Amino acid sequence: MRRSFKEALASGEFLVTAEVVPQKGIDAGTLTPIIKDLNDVVDALSVPDNPRALMSMSACAISRLILENGGDAIMHVSCRDRNRIALQSDLLGAAFLGIRNILCINGDHVRFGDHIDAMPVYDLDSVQLLETVRSLTQGRDMAGQQLVGIPDFCVGTAANPEADPLPPQLLKFEKKVQFGIDFVQTHPVFNIDNLVPFVNQAREKGVKLIAGVRLLMAEEASSYKDGSYPGLFIPEDLLAEIEGIKVEKSVEIAAQLIKAMREKKLCDGVHISAPGYEPKIMDIIKAAGI
Amino acid sequence: MIVLEQKKFQEIEKMTTGYNRLLVLGCETCAAMSFAGGQRQVAELASAIRVARKTTGEQGEVLEEAIARQCEPEFVDLIKDEVSGCDAVLSLACGAGVQMLAERFQDKVVLPGCNTTFLGVTEELGVWSERCAGCGNCILDKTAGLCPIARCSKQLLNGPCGGSMNGKCEISKDVDCVWQLIIDRLTRLNRLEMLEEIFPVKDWSPAGHGGPRKMVREDLKS
Repeated sequence: MRRSFKEALASGEFLVTAEVVPQKGIDAGTLTPIIKDLNDVVDALSVPDNPRALMSMSACAISRLILENGGDAIMHVSCRDRNRIALQSDLLGAAFLGIRNILCINGDHVRFGDHIDAMPVYDLDSVQLLETVRSLTQGRDMAGQQLVGIPDFCVGTAANPEADPLPPQLLKFEKKVQFGIDFVQTHPVFNIDNLVPFVNQAREKGVKLIAGVRLLMAEEASSYKDGSYPGLFIPEDLLAEIEGIKVEKSVEIAAQLIKAMREKKLCDGVHISAPGYEPKIMDIIKAAGI
Repeated sequence: MIVLEQKKFQEIEKMTTGYNRLLVLGCETCAAMSFAGGQRQVAELASAIRVARKTTGEQGEVLEEAIARQCEPEFVDLIKDEVSGCDAVLSLACGAGVQMLAERFQDKVVLPGCNTTFLGVTEELGVWSERCAGCGNCILDKTAGLCPIARCSKQLLNGPCGGSMNGKCEISKDVDCVWQLIIDRLTRLNRLEMLEEIFPVKDWSPAGHGGPRKMVREDLKS
């Protein structure tokens, strides 16, 4: 039996996770072969929770699909769409279905999605969600009531090393690590030296840092510029560089980033995302020589 | 103040059609300050309705009135004679004023001419912005006098999200990230350490999520 993501974290080896985005609808026919292929080469597949507020099948269902296909899943849990009751309920449900890894995030605002008239919830923020998860794993819900059957989660959160200014993000990260998290998955990183303060803080607390790497597609360049991707901050010179390039070059850029981060020991692993181009993740991994 | 905006004329016209004697009733406090429902806006709107009715051939009279505050019964009761003589009242007050009219004049149709938007301030003439969400448990002492409940798009209590960039919110470059403003202000006040404290989960029951809110001051009751 393959090792779990938690075991991979403990191994000290360089980790690779990849993102699979749930589809809009219940036909997982396209996603399943991608999951099967990627399961063979990554330590876990990370499943976003209605990313960019685009309504899709639940991250829980796709996480379960990943497990059934022999992989391990990291289920994202966003505070945007559920209040504290629903969040706790879904976390218990996920644990019941065998999902062991979760990534606690605030979630992109509904303004970016396809239901822009929806009411954003944000009853909890990501820091408070981490506190809630800790409480559940200690056997109590937020109201202090005892659970019958206690979930055991490997807990992660997000951070954005590309944000400017950086100190507020570091301050928030400092709050998050207080809840005994296991790993942090960053937003896509391009200025890799920005990882330094985060990885230092993470290592001090025994938290593994998995750096985000995103395949940048030339045809999406204008959307990157106009702020359609919240939390994705790409330097001007890189934006200019990707204009008109072919996908092979995009793969190379991503692979070079991974190599550089690995060489400089700026992270404990990478999380690769290529929304809509998932088969290219395999090429990135190959080109990076992982 | 409560900031209001007048509804689009087409909506008002459709809403008021069929009420022969229509009273357009202004409110001289927040609605007037919002330039949405003061005496002047009452006169302008009443004229526009009259012109529209002339065009469509609809009969009837459009009356005008404004009172100091539609949210207080003593002011509302001052116009009971005017109200009794009309078929409907088009209120240019906030939602509280509209409902106060409906409560005081049980058998009269009361229509809203404005949308109540938010609790805010006048930044400059013609520009208002939100400052308070009326959450019932003020935390401004902990956030440098700037409210993340009202001014953070995600109502975050423990610092900015990963979408904050150059002091702007992820939803728009025209919206300030309130957490950046809080950090800047605490830095100026030399109180940045206040942000190290973890904000506990918020109790939303005083914010109206515990049901409709009511406040009783026994010392003031007659």
